[in-house]
Amino acid sequence: MGDIAFNLLIFFVILARANDDSHLKWNPAEAQNLEGSKGAKVTVVIDIDGKIYLNSQQKSETELADAIGDELGDATAGNRVVYLKIDKNVTAPRFEPVIEAISQAGGELIHILNEDHAEPPPQPAKTAAAAPPASP
Amino acid sequence: MNKLLVEPAAVATGDIAFNLIVFFLVCASTQPDRGRKQDIPSSQQTKAEQKQENTEILITKTGIVLNGAAVRATELPGRLAIHFKGKPRPEDRVVVIKTRPDTPYSNWISVTSMVQDAGGSITIQREEEKTVTVGN
Repeated sequence: MGDIAFNLLIFFVILARANDDSHLKWNPAEAQNLEGSKGAKVTVVIDIDGKIYLNSQQKSETELADAIGDELGDATAGNRVVYLKIDKNVTAPRFEPVIEAISQAGGELIHILNEDHAEPPPQPAKTAAAAPPASP
Repeated sequence: MNKLLVEPAAVATGDIAFNLIVFFLVCASTQPDRGRKQDIPSSQQTKAEQKQENTEILITKTGIVLNGAAVRATELPGRLAIHFKGKPRPEDRVVVIKTRPDTPYSNWISVTSMVQDAGGSITIQREEEKTVTVGN
């Protein structure tokens, strides 16, 4: 009985691995006020080398919007969640087109991040008068 | 000498392996699943909104420039609060985010999070690609 369970488990682990991105290397950036999420149909990862993966399949920038659109299909609002996992050191020319592609495909973007436990910056409402005037 | 030989039954090996695998799988799943939702308007919407006078933030590798004036990260929420004062409509709270090619994602997400927390809505403006012809 145990052996059958063991073999079944191995089978499902291997099956799940095809859609799993835990083998991709990326260091999450930090931010405050993070929210929990129920899960996403689509996950886009930009790893430490700047390579783009859609549901753990490597993609190019140009094919990303269509590929995300295909994955999301006709899903209704609320079911079009796209997790975006970007390495903190990836630069703008690499991640901005990806964000744009998700937006273009009608994805509901959630940046996956680590909680920043630093003190939040002081709220300025009371000190607004003391603050220097904003430039036009 | 009456010494009892105690060893687990051979049939239990599979069950032990099964429990070990479940244990290690649970331990291994430490990927973060919390994040920040971000609404990025579609490109067409962005173009229409850019005709208006919007707040502009340039995010560089080392700093933040708000409407042409350098600001510290700690001062940004205060400055944004001043900008958004008396602007209850979301379309008046559009912030155009610009970057440099070396802007890391960690800076980008930290600034855009502040904009969102201050009640602003984000629009990305990517640097236009320019073709430079070098003469002989």
